[in-house]
Amino acid sequence: MAVSSVPFASPAPQLAARERRLALAGAAFAAPAALLLVAILLAPLIVLVLLSVTDYRLGAVAVRFVGLANYAEMFSDPVFRRAIRNTFLYVAFVLPAGVFGGLALAALVHARKRTRSLYEVIYFLPVTSTLVAMATVWQFLLHPSLGPVTPLLAALGFGRLDLLNDPDLALATLALIGLWQLLGFNMVLFLAGLSAVPRDLYEAAALDGAAGAVDRFLRVTWPMLGPTTMFVTITTTISAFKVFDTVVVLTRGGPLGATDTLLYVLYLEGFHYFRTGYAAAMTVVLLAFLCLLSLLQARLIERRVHYA
Amino acid sequence: MRSRAFLASVLSHLVLLIGAVLMLAPFVWMLLTSIRPAEEVFGAVFDPIPSRFAGFENYAQALFASNVPRAMLNGAVVCLGILAVQLATALPAAYALARLRFPGRGVLFGLVLFGLTVPIQVPALPLYLALAKAGLLDTFFALMFPFFLTVFGLFLFRQFFRTYPEEILQAARLDGMGEFEIVWRLAVPAALPAIGAFSVFSIVAHWNDLYWPLIVVTSRERATPPLGILAFRDAETGGNYGALMAGAALITAPLVLAFLVARRGFVRGLTMTGLK
Amino acid sequence: MLTRKEFLLGTAAAAGALAAPAVRAQATVTLDVLHAYPSFARFFTPVAEEFMKANPGIRISFRQILPNYDELHQALLRGALTNQLPDVAFSGFNRLPELARTLSARNQILALDMLIAAEGANWAAENFSPRMLALGKVDGRQYGMPFNASSPIAYYNPELVARAGGNPDQFPDSWEGVIALAAAIKRAVPQAMGLSYYINSFDSDWLWQALVQQGGGRMLSADGKSVAFAGEAGLAAVRLARRFVTECGMELIGADQNRQQFATGGIGIIFDSPARLAVISNLVGGRFPLRTAPFPITDKTNGGVPTGGNAAVIMATDPAKLRAAWEYVKFSAGPLAQKIAVEMTGYLPVNLKALAPEFLGRFYEQNPNARSAALQMDRSLPWEDYGANGPRIHRVQQELLTAIMRGDLAPEAGLARMVRETEALMRAV
Repeated sequence: MAVSSVPFASPAPQLAARERRLALAGAAFAAPAALLLVAILLAPLIVLVLLSVTDYRLGAVAVRFVGLANYAEMFSDPVFRRAIRNTFLYVAFVLPAGVFGGLALAALVHARKRTRSLYEVIYFLPVTSTLVAMATVWQFLLHPSLGPVTPLLAALGFGRLDLLNDPDLALATLALIGLWQLLGFNMVLFLAGLSAVPRDLYEAAALDGAAGAVDRFLRVTWPMLGPTTMFVTITTTISAFKVFDTVVVLTRGGPLGATDTLLYVLYLEGFHYFRTGYAAAMTVVLLAFLCLLSLLQARLIERRVHYA
Repeated sequence: MRSRAFLASVLSHLVLLIGAVLMLAPFVWMLLTSIRPAEEVFGAVFDPIPSRFAGFENYAQALFASNVPRAMLNGAVVCLGILAVQLATALPAAYALARLRFPGRGVLFGLVLFGLTVPIQVPALPLYLALAKAGLLDTFFALMFPFFLTVFGLFLFRQFFRTYPEEILQAARLDGMGEFEIVWRLAVPAALPAIGAFSVFSIVAHWNDLYWPLIVVTSRERATPPLGILAFRDAETGGNYGALMAGAALITAPLVLAFLVARRGFVRGLTMTGLK
Repeated sequence: MLTRKEFLLGTAAAAGALAAPAVRAQATVTLDVLHAYPSFARFFTPVAEEFMKANPGIRISFRQILPNYDELHQALLRGALTNQLPDVAFSGFNRLPELARTLSARNQILALDMLIAAEGANWAAENFSPRMLALGKVDGRQYGMPFNASSPIAYYNPELVARAGGNPDQFPDSWEGVIALAAAIKRAVPQAMGLSYYINSFDSDWLWQALVQQGGGRMLSADGKSVAFAGEAGLAAVRLARRFVTECGMELIGADQNRQQFATGGIGIIFDSPARLAVISNLVGGRFPLRTAPFPITDKTNGGVPTGGNAAVIMATDPAKLRAAWEYVKFSAGPLAQKIAVEMTGYLPVNLKALAPEFLGRFYEQNPNARSAALQMDRSLPWEDYGANGPRIHRVQQELLTAIMRGDLAPEAGLARMVRETEALMRAV
């Protein structure tokens, strides 16, 4: 590109040309990703919003505009309402247990010297495993008459529990399995965070009079882990929100709808009942929830964290 | 003081050990069942050691009389295909977002941040309709397409490239290096640990994904690992849960082994990226 | 009312003997055939090969197999609008009424009555039981020719039956008998369930329809527009469901878990698809000599069992293709094709002649457990379809049934709610 093509005089035409060249390169580099972003994210979102105000059913010939009827139906739909309640209960358990459990594990493992890598591997194992395959194992383990868990719990004085088929317990069981799979991931993230805390900070804190391990943790480790905590919190929220595999394989939303979750109901409506318009409306609401939660968390955590 | 430290160490070992047992129990059960003869699979709670080693027949059934190997091959194709496109598009774009000024940069980054909160289930419905319209359901393309875009990768690599020293870039430009060369010969090699960590995330996610394959795949020929297990469970094992567990073990193994090999690099990569 | 196409074909086929050699002499006719469930290729392909061997002038070409009956149904409805229908399709029984009504209004589907008549006066009676043939009838006309058929059967553990003082060679044929036997098993072996009838976790409403239909009830009125299980038969069915729990010691666990527990000797009797015979036999292994029995039917005159499966429908328009399609459809419902499909799947044969020794006779002698399904041929009733909201209706009903079985809802109140919610969902389409 010739320098003379710069439209207006600049004190350093070469510099301006370079700027333009860099801008062009930047646009070119970003273009493929931007195109994908439009094709895979933005365009579908627009279509989704449009679908959500129709009564479209997959394969149907005629489509009718129904305004906000789908949204209205959703909030009086008992299945959707319990799916929301179940999903929030699930998140309310998995989120704190996942974040603080991961942090506690990381702190314990971090302090180990010789056995550290062993524990790292063991706790990370469930993360890499295929949840569908492992859910089949869990179904086995939790079989009320054939699996080892029920007799074990009975021996511990819990009585004869059927963890998957009792409507009062099924959701908690799925949450525990979710936690089982998630803990190692969060632990590894926190371990990475811990190893980045400079040693001398602890010495400085010791000089300041921080005595015990707890004091050290509260005054140095925890604040330094801010960005990690934020990341872990957001990823844990989203993956807890997305609970699906275990529902499909283990309970299919039952018993008595005790494990109906948002994504499972969404899947049923969209790809099993083929109520496309209604499912689209549900998806829009799901997205609103996710955005709201992320914003909220980002706000809450950012107040205490200065992102590096 | 010493005894207190000793006590704390014992206590922490105890907690970690109990946790480790809980973490490992399903795997142990899976492996034990996979070497059990079919008729012994159920009702063997209290004699965990099989009376007869049936590992060969179970693994043989999973390997030669089921769709599991095919599903694993498909899984590999899909994961690597996705990863290749993700890296090819996300790396230069992330570099541009981090280091170059171009019109629309702010909007693009805003969209990336927004995209971080949007799981695949959100655009799934319209994407499914589009793929159906194009007659592309039940193809590798349908399995991979929605994941070509990785806002997570874009974000991660941008954070990394922001820490790349400006002086090196300037020097390279003075040496006459074009931006294309700078990305692929300077920035990307420096980002290898981050790329490694990202690859682990990406492969683990897509090898194990159930939602999207469940929707777009209908034939055995395109089954991914989770679908392979579901089909095996329903119809193909003929009630042999030993073989089913052998199949589960086979499908779980590659990622576990890969993690064992790449663990150090993965943790280092995590530390180097914005994820610390 | 005859359509032009049917008239043409009827006259052509009336000269039946003439038509078939004509096909053979002509150049090859290729039939475009559509069926559902990719795994069904394992018997569709060999059946087609046998057919082509017997009819060298006709080639069978399968379209891309669709994942299930619903998607096949959607594809046919779309194909009707764009004139891209296959020549022959195997429609799920439960979707056949809607398909036949939609397509016959557009003159795109062939009623087979004249063709059947042209085969000779006794042909239909010699080959099919009336109830089986009726599965392909819609509004009094034969649109489909049954191909695959499957209705639930009983699997039982003869050792537990014997320990309870029952006779393993004489499985009860009414539900009072079943409950008495299962209750006796529960008393004799308290840690086992007497029976398990897992409508609470089965993946369709098949078992629930069976419980209503065996008592002489139906799910829907004859025109398919309103709920018909609100009466005596429905009430009897929900009461039975509750008694399984209270009298027979049934626990509400998952379908897979039931099969597993049955296999270890932990359940006396279960009810499942005959297609699961191989799976359940393997699960049982050598633990006990597994037995099966036909589904007990309390109302011997009106009662029956819902039959899943599919029927071949002809949509070809070209006369040569029509004739070839009829040959293929006839062959599929014939004894040789039935032998191939039944031996692979465990379904019941749709053709009476298939029971002859040279076809399935020997197979049944060697596998007596497979015979129970075949004994249900003339007890076949349609697996009734609620329309587009069917899957949702099943889910609602399953939940209410679970609540009734748990005792959360009284059978009467539960049934009333089931009727109300089913009707609401049928209207909501």
